[in-house]
Amino acid sequence: MKLALIGVGGAGTRIVDRFVRAERDTGRSVTNGNVLAFTTDPRAFDRTTALSADRQVVLGDAHPDVTRRGAGEGNAAAGERSRHSRAEPTEAGEGSATETAPEGAPVTDGDSDGLTDAITNYGVGGDPELGARVAQADRPEIRRALDPIEETDVAATMLVAGLGGGTGCGVGSVLLEELQSIYETSVYALGVLPATAEPDRRTLTAARGVRTFVPLADSMFLVDNEAWCSDADRVVDRYEPINAMTVERLLSVFGAGERDCGSVSEMRVDSADIQRTLDVGGVATIGRETVRVEPESRGLIARILRLIGRSPETDSTAVDASMVKHLISRALQSKLTLPCDITSADRVFVILTGPPDTISRKGFETGRYLLEEETETVEVLAGDEPIPGAPELTATVVLSNVTTVPRIERLQRRAVAIQTDGDPNDKATSATDTERPAATKSTDERFDRSNPDDDAASHGFDFGDTGRDLGE
Amino acid sequence: MKLATIGVGNAGSKLIDQMIEFEFETGRNLCRHALVINTARTDLAKPRNIDGDRRVLIGDTHRKARGHGVGGDAEIGAEVAKTDIDEIRRVFDDVEIHEVDAVLVAAGLGGGTGSGAAPVVIDELQKMYEEPIYGLGILPGTYEGGRPALNAARSLQSFVNKVDNFIAFDNDAWRSRGQTIEQGYEEMNEELATRIVTLLAAGEVDESEVGENAMDSSDIMRTLEVGGVSSIGYASTEVDVEKQGLLAKFNDAEESESESTDAAKIKGLVRRATNSRLTVPCDVSSADRALIVFAGPPDVISRKGVESAREWLEQEADTVDVLAGDDPRPDSSNLAAVVLLSNVTDTPRIDEIQNQAVDAQNKIQEQDAVREEEIQSLITDDDNDLDPIV
Repeated sequence: MKLALIGVGGAGTRIVDRFVRAERDTGRSVTNGNVLAFTTDPRAFDRTTALSADRQVVLGDAHPDVTRRGAGEGNAAAGERSRHSRAEPTEAGEGSATETAPEGAPVTDGDSDGLTDAITNYGVGGDPELGARVAQADRPEIRRALDPIEETDVAATMLVAGLGGGTGCGVGSVLLEELQSIYETSVYALGVLPATAEPDRRTLTAARGVRTFVPLADSMFLVDNEAWCSDADRVVDRYEPINAMTVERLLSVFGAGERDCGSVSEMRVDSADIQRTLDVGGVATIGRETVRVEPESRGLIARILRLIGRSPETDSTAVDASMVKHLISRALQSKLTLPCDITSADRVFVILTGPPDTISRKGFETGRYLLEEETETVEVLAGDEPIPGAPELTATVVLSNVTTVPRIERLQRRAVAIQTDGDPNDKATSATDTERPAATKSTDERFDRSNPDDDAASHGFDFGDTGRDLGE
Repeated sequence: MKLATIGVGNAGSKLIDQMIEFEFETGRNLCRHALVINTARTDLAKPRNIDGDRRVLIGDTHRKARGHGVGGDAEIGAEVAKTDIDEIRRVFDDVEIHEVDAVLVAAGLGGGTGSGAAPVVIDELQKMYEEPIYGLGILPGTYEGGRPALNAARSLQSFVNKVDNFIAFDNDAWRSRGQTIEQGYEEMNEELATRIVTLLAAGEVDESEVGENAMDSSDIMRTLEVGGVSSIGYASTEVDVEKQGLLAKFNDAEESESESTDAAKIKGLVRRATNSRLTVPCDVSSADRALIVFAGPPDVISRKGVESAREWLEQEADTVDVLAGDDPRPDSSNLAAVVLLSNVTDTPRIDEIQNQAVDAQNKIQEQDAVREEEIQSLITDDDNDLDPIV
């Protein structure tokens, strides 16, 4: 399915950049160059490698409340701005953020939406209200920037953002509105939820972000940093692998059938299948599982034996069917991008990617039926993507409109507590993991354990596959 | 019989394509016109034996299709066929309808395009032509799930009401272990194409001898005219080529002996065709009319055998309306018997699909009813304290 990808903020930019690289590496063509990245802090582009300069858009250049990096002008300008902003009757209090920015400069590897635990003071300083105002003010610029996106080239557009960031969430909200108003085709969103170890302000921003994005988007994929971080990890160390995992799954879903040299698929996935799965709106999550396929069972001799009917019936054939069925089952039980109660899914989509001679029809059909029974929905769309000679077989499952998501409830409860606790901006500048009240943490942990769907504990954190290159 | 054929959706198109291939391989001449209709551009490119200008893409301007299928949604399938009906009619206009005996519309009933668009196409054809229109529908297997079952149950009603006869094919009956997806569908299409073409092409042997017992198109049409759902059985056997040789013919004694073995063989073949896998499993005795076609070298088709086979089927099908005839294929190395059971009313598989469809429909309605509410409750905190950003 052809998809335009629009990243916003640091996290969004990185994911889109990685996606474009992965497209090249796997020979799939999804975006056809229809990509853009928006940020309020140009340093978000420092690490991008696949996004050309004309695809990078900096917003808020002229906005008085946006903090620019730059030597020398720091103190005076910041002071000027903070006075200015205090005068504004906004709740967000960007004043405090800008004030500490120049000397505090707490974030040395500067990134506004999540490469570090702390919130940087550059760009919109983690303030979604400011982000939204900046984007509102820059609407004409946003429209101009969107010009190179060929809507007729793509079946849909996806906005990618870290929901905890001021730019991702704030600018993203306005951008999402804008995209919906100018595009006739579907506009999806992908949002990253902050881990609990990240600053409180991100949690509050993200909870509001979910509230804002979901009704605006035709469907919203969520990736939960919390579920993909273990206690031992520093959140910051997890961003790379989580982004890699996210891109790998997105590409499995949207890149199915978009391979230049793919052989003809029997049950081809067409964009209408994916779109119909997502049509119901709400929140979507992705699971994935891969198995190496034994070269022996697929060898020439085995194939000839099968052709002339001399294949040991019990051996290779039975193995194939149950292997495929179990693979689909394991993809469903795998750690989802956003853990949830799978029975709350509205529609389900499954794609099998791998060598066509391993995709057993019986296994595929019973696997699909299993999805229907396990998720308690009758709307299961399925397809295959044959890749001759591939060393592994992958099942990717999309659960669309999941409505029982303990993680979102926890996020909301914490966000309400943070909001009630007082001015979130104080925490924005100083909050760290250790400052979080111990009580909150243990409560969270209890939730984690009591949630049967959050299978983090049982699955461990096998990021083994995220380091590799995507696809095969 | 001479047919104009239309394949709707992926399954229907591939089946028509396979029928043409089988015809070509066996020197038959059944499908005088072939047309395929689809909503997905890539699937439309798959058939190997259909001319480029006989492939019609519908729904490419529809917001939810755009040349990329309808995502299994029969409503959209029907909608886009209605919208683009002029385009379909325009392509069909090239068909010299007086040159054909009937029109055959093939579709998979589980998918969105076949189940939704095919009945619309049939409606239009019925308005335009006097000729009988037959449907050939592939029923989804149990494991394809609730949505395909619902599509099929609904489409089956439209099909059976609109066509002059509906030949059903049950995916479940043809599932076997050890197939890949590719092999699975290919083998199924081959089996079905063999049955359909062997049955309907009877009586269309232009150059070869036409025996007095030859099956005629009008016999087949008479059997089909009762309407309803039909099932087809098939069996074939290798013919001993030497026996037909010159030497064997000199020996009168041997010939009469072989005559009786041939008769037994023929009857056995028909029993096998009826009792083996039918295209849709059914109670044979619920058939309204029946017909047997013997396709193969004329000298191995024993008259005695044909008559006793016919009588046997009369008993089994519990009807006196059983026709039997030959389709002489002098060059063929095997003898095939095709049994058509017309208007069978006891088909357990169709009942199952209907039950599965009712459950699916209930489930879908339940989901629709609470969808918006559940999304709202998910994104809103308990006391609605959190505000959206914009």
